[in-house]
Amino acid sequence: MTRRTLVAAGLTLAALCPFVTVAGAQDYPVKTITLVTHSSPGAGGDIFLRDLSRFLGPALGANVVVENISGGSGATAVARVANSRPDGSVFYGTTPTFIYTTLLSEPEFGYDSLDPLVNVFFDPEVLYTAATGPFQSLEDVMTKAREGRGQWGAANPASLERQSLEMLKSVSGVNAAVVSHDGGGDMMINVLNGTLDMGVGEIQELKGQLEAGEIRLLAALTADRIPGYDDLPTVREAGYDVAVRKFRGIAAPKGLPPEVVAAWEAAIPRVLEDPEFKAIYEPDSLQPAFLDDEEYSQFIDGFAADTRSFLIETGVIQ
Amino acid sequence: MITRNMVGGAVTIVIGAVYLYYAHQIRVSSLADSFGPRGLPLVYGWLTIFLGALVLGKSTVAVWRLDGEARATLAQEEWAGEGRSILRAAGLLLIATLYLLLLPHLGYPLSLVLLIGGVILYMGAARTWRVPVIALLGATMLWLIFVKLLGVDMPEGFLSTLLS
Amino acid sequence: MDTLLATIPYLGDWSLILAAIAGTAWGIMGGALPGISPSITMALLLPFTYVMDPSSAIVMLASTYVGAEYGGSVPAILINTPGTNSAAATVVDGYAMNKQGKAGLALGISLYSGFIGSMVGLVLLMALSGPLAKVALSFTPPAYFALGVLGLSVIATLAGDSMAKGLIAALFGLMIATVGTDPVSGANRFTFGNSDLLNGIEPVLVMVGLFALSELLAQAALTRDDQDRARSRPRIEFPDRKLARRLVKPQAIGSAVGAFEGVMPGAGGTIASFMAYNEARRWSAHKDEFGHGSPEGIAAPETANNTVAETAIVPLLSFGIPGSNSTAILLGGFLIHGLQPGPMLFQRSADVVHSLYAGLFISIIAMVILGILILPVCVWMVNRPRAYLNAFILALVMSGVYTIHEGLTDVGMLLIAGAAGFLMRVLRFPFLPTVLGLVLGYLIESNFRRALVLSGDDYSIFVGDWISIVLLGLAALFILGSFAARTLNFIRGRRSDRVPV
Repeated sequence: MTRRTLVAAGLTLAALCPFVTVAGAQDYPVKTITLVTHSSPGAGGDIFLRDLSRFLGPALGANVVVENISGGSGATAVARVANSRPDGSVFYGTTPTFIYTTLLSEPEFGYDSLDPLVNVFFDPEVLYTAATGPFQSLEDVMTKAREGRGQWGAANPASLERQSLEMLKSVSGVNAAVVSHDGGGDMMINVLNGTLDMGVGEIQELKGQLEAGEIRLLAALTADRIPGYDDLPTVREAGYDVAVRKFRGIAAPKGLPPEVVAAWEAAIPRVLEDPEFKAIYEPDSLQPAFLDDEEYSQFIDGFAADTRSFLIETGVIQ
Repeated sequence: MITRNMVGGAVTIVIGAVYLYYAHQIRVSSLADSFGPRGLPLVYGWLTIFLGALVLGKSTVAVWRLDGEARATLAQEEWAGEGRSILRAAGLLLIATLYLLLLPHLGYPLSLVLLIGGVILYMGAARTWRVPVIALLGATMLWLIFVKLLGVDMPEGFLSTLLS
Repeated sequence: MDTLLATIPYLGDWSLILAAIAGTAWGIMGGALPGISPSITMALLLPFTYVMDPSSAIVMLASTYVGAEYGGSVPAILINTPGTNSAAATVVDGYAMNKQGKAGLALGISLYSGFIGSMVGLVLLMALSGPLAKVALSFTPPAYFALGVLGLSVIATLAGDSMAKGLIAALFGLMIATVGTDPVSGANRFTFGNSDLLNGIEPVLVMVGLFALSELLAQAALTRDDQDRARSRPRIEFPDRKLARRLVKPQAIGSAVGAFEGVMPGAGGTIASFMAYNEARRWSAHKDEFGHGSPEGIAAPETANNTVAETAIVPLLSFGIPGSNSTAILLGGFLIHGLQPGPMLFQRSADVVHSLYAGLFISIIAMVILGILILPVCVWMVNRPRAYLNAFILALVMSGVYTIHEGLTDVGMLLIAGAAGFLMRVLRFPFLPTVLGLVLGYLIESNFRRALVLSGDDYSIFVGDWISIVLLGLAALFILGSFAARTLNFIRGRRSDRVPV
């Protein structure tokens, strides 16, 4: 939105960073790297990139700034990056949104017009309910849905969260209404006041309520238990074969020079090991999940194929 | 004779019909509820057509009921002076549209000077030295507010490619 | 009381005072520029707050919000365009007063009402956060639907001469609100393959087109000698004692409606200001003046939207849930500094909460002082010859709308909205129902369908709790009442002097 002001802020942040550039970083071909996100300032995707940018700058040897480009459910931001020169100066912060928007809305530039460069985190999704409510476990919620009718909430109409609930509904064969909202906050209200049996969200956005003891976690939608929440069973352990991976990574315009790819592939694992960065992302339960250029491209293709077949099965797209 | 309400009713019916046509093309998937993404648009579309027909019909009946003399006065007064005002408005809209088309090529500051200067002249100000000066000052002020202060990425146009 | 005592020491903190003044000034400017919403104004400022200490950063963002909500009324009065969505209800009587040469008084009333509204809101925020948060929690999808319907019932009084034409105008607004991604299935509706339309059409651009651009188009036919408005003296006038007493009722209505709507996520200032306008008219002793430059018609909506700017912070602080785009940016400001708004905030970072309260108080004072300083200049500017003024307004609104997404699609849609507004003027359709339909359309549709999904298509959910019953009952009462009044007028033959075509 405001490139110039963000550059200023980025420079100040880089100057405040307490540690010094590492060797090899001087080779990076451009001075300023812009990370583009479709998230609005302060939203999950935006905070992820801003935190990352503080540590990436020294690791890559360039100034890293974040630019928010809203609009078009993310399509505008993708188009902007896809049309940029592939010289290592402009990147896109990926989340499942860019795949959903591409499949649902078929904009001119979709996820396939970018090169998925590296993955950084998986952001675990969890099922939760109101602490004052009648449900103690996922099985309680499922029993209600099996015997009568369940009411489950997802933050957005066509999203990974919605898909995970629809999958849970279809593998268990229960009768549940999946209600979509205008974002996580809107849904949280309906969980807290008991309108919904349970909702699905990321730990980071639930933290406030979780610490205050207002909500109870029911199960994790990850393949393995979440570190730091070792008592929380996964949905798979409860007997329902559903697990999703919300990814947060970086994509680039196609045709990036190999040395830029190499610089990123070297920088991300190093940044993830940085104890100061760990101190920021570990409390949010973000799971470091570095994937290099080749692995990430395969991962995104696989993710898109799964999403496409889900959307076709449910008749959302043809 | 044709009244404002007849035109208004007719335009409303057309808008409702076009809207309905596109409402029928919305995809309904199994993620949708029973009311569906088409539900309310269909209600809106039909209501619009109904109300448009009502306005059109009421006006037609009212005119038909008038005696000859009253109808003649109405025919004279209903649209008096509107032709000119519609033409003038269309002219201003054309200037604004030209600005929009030129903006990506000429860049923000230059297009602004042309827009402000053009509108001042179109609105009938005397052609004095003041017009270009105010156009320049106004454009500079807006450029300072939007580009420098707010940091908005306005189109830069050919000037930036020449300079860089 | 403890809250108050804990807040007072922060009032002398210079870094907070500076942050509050700077934020308020920035906010008034952003709010006054048509097209730049409070949330965009705050988002533009956000990067600068990263390097500040948490308290100053939060205070600066919150002050920007306060300033922007007030700033929206300035162009509403002076150039017939709401600077923010929630100033739309102020346009009618504000611009009418301006045309009568009373711009200084209109601005004075809006500043005075903004001050009252903000102060009431701040007191409620500090004293009644807990109970107000409970109100927010008790609103379920059917209750939100009922609230939207209650808002729409205002059309019955805004429709003007012809109810059918008023309803058509409202339907236009509801239709525009259906553009974009479907709230339940995520399907694209009326986007015509244009990805710029996926997130819907911004209400503010439609308002700027309908009000400001169509006014410019209508004035294009005036010649240099046509006088359609009286000049105002370039100074700001506050209401005298008699007028101030008359404004107490609309201000009380405004702050009550504002307090209620502010705490509910998703409702927001626009609905509050329209409902306050409508209620102030209903209970006024000078009903006929409304729409023709009534001071009460400025006081009620301006008190309401400034109260909302304060009480909208309640759900953010109590639950960490942002109720609007603006409070979402404020949430971002908290999170960037590692603060998690929510139940624990009051225990963990009480200092931040108390400095926020202090900062809000300072920003309200700053708002009044800044208003007194800048408004005369603004009145002077709109006193320039019409040709120059209109050229500048056109350039201003086209630049402002461009900033929404930094794209030309919005500017193109602004021109379409302006042309449509001009046609509506020629064909004598009212605008306000369109604005209301536009603002409420999404709230009504999404919650209507959400409620049906929840209940499994059982329509009794809409009368399932007392909030919905009361709200729907009120709406029915208003609509029936207005129809009854129209019928009575018709029977008494009051309409016979009007040409019935």
